[in-house]
Amino acid sequence: MNKHAAHSELATELTRRHFFARTSVGLGTAALAHLLSNETCQAGGVLNGFHFAPRAKRVIYLFMSGGPSQIDLLDYKPLLNEKNGEELPASVRMGQRLTGMSGNQATLPLAGSVFKFQQHGQSGAWVSELLPHTAKIVDELAIIRSMHTEAINHDPAITFFQTGSQIAGRPSIGAWLDYGLGSENENLPSFCVLVTKGKGGQPLYARLWGSGFLASQHQGVQFRSGKDPVLYLNNPAGVSAQNRRMMLDQLRQLHQLQVERTLDSAVAARIAQYEMAYRMQSSVPDVTNISDEPQHVLDMYGPDVSNPGSFAANCLLARRLAERNVRFIQLFHRGWDQHGNLPKGIATQCRETDQPCAALVRDLKQRGMLDDTLVVWGGEFGRTSYSQGKLTADDYGRDHHPRCFTMWMAGGGAKAGASYGETDAFSYNVISNPVHVHDLHATMLHLLGIDHERLTYKFQGRRYRLTDVFGEVVDGIIA
Amino acid sequence: MLACASFELSAARAELPETVDFNFHIRPLLSDRCFACHGPDEEDREAELRLDLEESAYAALEGGEASHIIKPGDPLQSEVYLRIAAEDADERMPPADSNLVLSAEEIQLVRRWIEQGARWKQHWSFMPIEPVKVPELADSNWPRNEIDQFVLARLQSEGLQPAAEATREKLIRRVTYDLTGLPPTLEEIDDFLADDAADAYESVVDRLLNSPRYGERMAVEWLDVARYADTYGYQADRYRAVWPYRDWVVDAFNQNLPYDEFVTWQLAGDLLPGDEKAKTLATAFNRLHRQTNEGGSIEEEFRVEYVADRTETFATAFLGLTFQCARCHDHKYDPLTQKDYYQIFSFFGSIDECGLYSHFTEATPTPTLLLTEPQQESQLAELAQAVGDAENRLQEIADQQQSAFEAWLAESPQLESIAGLIGDYPMEQIVDGKLVNRADADQPGQVADAPALVAGKVGQGLHLSGENNFTTPVGGTFSRHDPFTISLWINTPDEKDRAVVWHRSRSWTDAGSRGYQLLFEDGKLSASLIHFWPGNALRVRTNRKLSTNSWQQVTVTYDGSSRADGLKLYINGKLEPCEVVRDQLTKTIGYNSGEVETKVLTLGQRFRDRGFKDGLVDELQIYNRELTPAEVEHVHSGASLGDLLVQSDPARSTLLRDYYLKNYSEPYRMALAELRDARLKHGELIDSIAEIMVMRELSTPRPAYVLKRGVYDAPAERVDSDTPASLPPMADGLPRNRLGLARWLTDPGHPLTARVAVNRYWQMLFGRGIVATPNDFGSQGELPSHPELLDWLARTFVQSGWDVKALLKQLVMSATYRQSGECSPSLRAQDPGNTLLARGPSQRLSAEMIRDSVLFTSELLVEKRGGPPVKPYQPEGLWEEKGSATYQRDEGEGSHRRSLYTYWKRTSPPPSMLTLDAAKRDVCAVQRQSTATPLQSLVLLNDPQYVEAARALAQLVLAYAPESIETQLHYVFRKLTSRVPEEREFHLLQAAYDQQREYYENHSADAEQLLAIGDHPHGENIDPAQLAAMTMVVEIVTSFAESVTK
Repeated sequence: MNKHAAHSELATELTRRHFFARTSVGLGTAALAHLLSNETCQAGGVLNGFHFAPRAKRVIYLFMSGGPSQIDLLDYKPLLNEKNGEELPASVRMGQRLTGMSGNQATLPLAGSVFKFQQHGQSGAWVSELLPHTAKIVDELAIIRSMHTEAINHDPAITFFQTGSQIAGRPSIGAWLDYGLGSENENLPSFCVLVTKGKGGQPLYARLWGSGFLASQHQGVQFRSGKDPVLYLNNPAGVSAQNRRMMLDQLRQLHQLQVERTLDSAVAARIAQYEMAYRMQSSVPDVTNISDEPQHVLDMYGPDVSNPGSFAANCLLARRLAERNVRFIQLFHRGWDQHGNLPKGIATQCRETDQPCAALVRDLKQRGMLDDTLVVWGGEFGRTSYSQGKLTADDYGRDHHPRCFTMWMAGGGAKAGASYGETDAFSYNVISNPVHVHDLHATMLHLLGIDHERLTYKFQGRRYRLTDVFGEVVDGIIA
Repeated sequence: MLACASFELSAARAELPETVDFNFHIRPLLSDRCFACHGPDEEDREAELRLDLEESAYAALEGGEASHIIKPGDPLQSEVYLRIAAEDADERMPPADSNLVLSAEEIQLVRRWIEQGARWKQHWSFMPIEPVKVPELADSNWPRNEIDQFVLARLQSEGLQPAAEATREKLIRRVTYDLTGLPPTLEEIDDFLADDAADAYESVVDRLLNSPRYGERMAVEWLDVARYADTYGYQADRYRAVWPYRDWVVDAFNQNLPYDEFVTWQLAGDLLPGDEKAKTLATAFNRLHRQTNEGGSIEEEFRVEYVADRTETFATAFLGLTFQCARCHDHKYDPLTQKDYYQIFSFFGSIDECGLYSHFTEATPTPTLLLTEPQQESQLAELAQAVGDAENRLQEIADQQQSAFEAWLAESPQLESIAGLIGDYPMEQIVDGKLVNRADADQPGQVADAPALVAGKVGQGLHLSGENNFTTPVGGTFSRHDPFTISLWINTPDEKDRAVVWHRSRSWTDAGSRGYQLLFEDGKLSASLIHFWPGNALRVRTNRKLSTNSWQQVTVTYDGSSRADGLKLYINGKLEPCEVVRDQLTKTIGYNSGEVETKVLTLGQRFRDRGFKDGLVDELQIYNRELTPAEVEHVHSGASLGDLLVQSDPARSTLLRDYYLKNYSEPYRMALAELRDARLKHGELIDSIAEIMVMRELSTPRPAYVLKRGVYDAPAERVDSDTPASLPPMADGLPRNRLGLARWLTDPGHPLTARVAVNRYWQMLFGRGIVATPNDFGSQGELPSHPELLDWLARTFVQSGWDVKALLKQLVMSATYRQSGECSPSLRAQDPGNTLLARGPSQRLSAEMIRDSVLFTSELLVEKRGGPPVKPYQPEGLWEEKGSATYQRDEGEGSHRRSLYTYWKRTSPPPSMLTLDAAKRDVCAVQRQSTATPLQSLVLLNDPQYVEAARALAQLVLAYAPESIETQLHYVFRKLTSRVPEEREFHLLQAAYDQQREYYENHSADAEQLLAIGDHPHGENIDPAQLAAMTMVVEIVTSFAESVTK
């Protein structure tokens, strides 16, 4: 309601141009742009425009934390069933390191998947019976079977995926994008994080969506289920929206006296800062309140969608954020770390995620948003083709495997129906078209219109990039 | 030394300076645009050309257009100029694919520099700090001290004037925040306003410097540098008690420990003479990096990460250099080689540590310092004395028993069965998974995962797979004070580089190996008793490898002494020569309550360790006493004791005497029991005392290597501890350890240490360093805005005896600091960052200051100093949803301490602090960013911490002046902004109050709800509408820009 009022009042005192010309102590241009930009990204980000025409305007990244087993989901290896129980050949392992969890096992018995695979769609992609819904959208996906990474433990591996480095202190992908491109929605953060509620498994941490050496304004803002979708969003008990508005008007008047007296843009920015906070108080509930979703849409996402904080509910929320042009939306779903009892554990994971993932892609498509929304699905590494712990007729576990794993992308310029890269018959090594984490990052940035070599931040004398000094755009997965 | 250049500003005007200076104009260009390919990094160097070294930059060329790389005086014979100015895109440098360009002005600058003779200089920060002449200024009475003369000289050269002095209210507010982190009280403001003395301001400064709050304020800044946090970081992110280090930092500042000692203690306090615990405690600085315990992690990989973090923290904190760039390859911009990096790395790697902390126990990763209270010190000394006395008495009794022994011997005693056998497993058959114990039928052994019964040493034995095992409760609970003996026949099919024969422990690295164990290591056998491997453990290892494919009886005996010489390994009844691998066991080898334990002795396998694959075992015997050598031999051959009795060689008497004392002498056995008792008491006290991670040098330095690509498993050239060649060398007499390194660092002649330190303190007060990149004094860093001032301050600092309080006093006493922070739009446009210092500092307050201020002004602050971290208000569920722990807020006091004491959990830091730009504490940080975001507004408006404080201040003010709204509003405004409201401001506040009051009078339920937020009780006789309305007014003023500005 007061959005325009606040802006026009500000505008009478200080034009935008004027404002930017007089950035003040402690408030960088980017911060000001952040506060005041109601135009396109060019105004907000350091890049001042795209390097080339973007294919995707936004990203929804479905992070499967723990490392889903490629062998049981999307990388079909019948040979492992034939050789079930036989020792992993040294010629396949080639002396590569293992974790300390299975590295000291007396034997490394190959374990074929107990799940059945079938080919689906025009593309004929092999998909496990665990993913019946994903199977129906394979023709929308670019499946990358040749992902590989360097880290073998969760923390370094997920840190690598999120920041392009195993070392702490680097900005996350979403923070890089916010820094580079700014925000397209002045009432919502441009980088939102949704974590499935109530899941066990490997811990997550704020650093994964942190801003590293970039300013804190670029960090991801977590949307949580419950009363306060964004921390501290709600007025305290006893302060109504009406009273908050009154109080902010009083505060603004106080600040305006100060602006008149000092002509200090930092004070003016403070007015805008409080106004945006106020707008967020209505724009966030507006996006999280799904009461306006028709039943058939809710049905697509499955029964969990009505359970706030579930993966299904988060997928729907992701779509709603995407509709409001939030640039980078990242979902985290824990629990993919099946060292033991894999068949049971992974089935639960798939039950929770398969339908919502497919629904998200279909929902975006039916709204015409899939063309410019890039959906990315994957974990921080894959899993071993040998069993960790005892291999029995119907049970096995799999240890971490960084040397090959599977991810998929959909929409936003990703090549629909593509299968990219190949692993050996053991799903142990990549044998063609390897895609490194840096390559994935380079490709994502490319689809967003950014040359990954030219999105840099100078820190400690060096121009840092999300892709460090590596990364090649993978043309084979671009439409 | 350095020309006082004004490059930044003149470049903006695109004018070339009269005299082009290499350090100020040329090196920054070469570094930024050329060094990546033509700099120090050998690996990526193009065309063999180096522009970072004088000799190669001036080299002659043959055959080309130019005669030299750089020819002084002649740009057209200088390849560098020709290439950067080339029209042809293929010729032009930097090449297009580098994404780097030189502007036309910059190219002209290079040209002029060459024309003017191309004089080369060493990089400014690597040059010695020479005496500096303080500028003399004609007819100005503005300067109050030397700082001002430097600043004014620069201002005059820019045609600027300093600002007027800030108002007294502003001044006392600024300096009180800067030196204590809190605002002045109204009484302090009034006293200062009323003090006509010439030294009124100085009195305030002195009072603040002597306040204990000073140390708390200074510590916040240092704890960012030290990446201090209360948890380990990485994913499990458990708590670790390192707060005694934090308290040491506070004390060190309050006691004004000279900076050189402050640094030396932290780097090498353990190596300083004397046994002052605080000096060793200070070295916890080096252990505050993140640590992991993630299952399956490779220990060495993370140990290398830790040492790398120490190395890089050292460089950032003390040298202002970006060492991490040299971890994987030579530095791209600065004269630091990869070898230099690993030479520093070598200083920090030589401690007895493990790359993983323990998942199953709460052991403090070694090396550690026992955090004894003074009274525990004396208790410990007494108990240690009691152990010594008991040991002496045992020896005396042994001597006294000589005649009794001889009498016994004279009677030609017969061999009896060996005492103390509590477990005796012949392993002949498995019934329902159980195996008979001949010594105690109620304590059978059992097997898991079906080891096969095969032909053994005697009858049957077990064939182990490496995954299956045999366990028994017997022998599963020995403490380090219990003597014991474990004997087993084994037969290994091959030379094992590692295999678990037997153990009592929860796990390998996941439990820090807590317990006792017999392992194969590189084909040899090792026996250990371990609290936390490697720093708190005993280990002996056979000198030779065990032969394969034959049955051998391995007997381990232990005497309960916690000493390696009390731990013995026998093979086939004969004492086996061993090397002592570790001899430092001071804490329990058992599991405390709350730790996950296992009370069995296990053969053949351990969680996530390598089992005894295809090993055979048989005839396990466990004794609850240390068998004497004679008995061990008897257990092996069955006849040796009888043999000894009839032999007459000299060894006979010793062996028999030992046997006699332990088996037949009641006085000896009683003395032995007393000794055990004394050791137990001593051990129990030690076990109850907390430890902290510190540095303690290994007696034999750990070798260090250059690591290719920085990777732990790619060692290359071996390196010794040493300092970089481009900095002054370590003096010959200095030891090549951390103490030598600290002495080198704090040598008054060191070019960086003092510059880096004074710059950081300048930044702390002025918001921007004289060098704006406090983490980079290298060639990619910003140049100093006032180079002579920086050097003058650095020299003065060293000459003062590195007196930090004196330095800060000098800074805050200057007229420069005392200027008003307000300025005209034109000045702000000309100098947005206040580089020239034509106005006083006025930054937004830090996260800690903002929170502490509202607690302080509302009088909710509990000013208790030190102690374990506290858990104040935080939105529910944040720790839980990340999956690592439960957050239980501390009600009352714990919610109202200074922010310095707030529990800092690395994977889920207090969100309101992060939102207000607190450092993340993952890695060393010497600078915080300052942002303005809507999320910050939401914190100030809605965080219960702030709402409660607003409520409490409202309550105070109503009680303070119940009758006068005018007084009330003045009071609130002054408390939060330190000044009296102007009339228009006052009217706004009054209108706000009236509106709010009307609102709450009409919404009494709202008022009740608002007043119920937080722990603070609200008084009985207060009108809720009035209090709620005033609470909202306090919120308005708290959110007002001036309230969060110093």
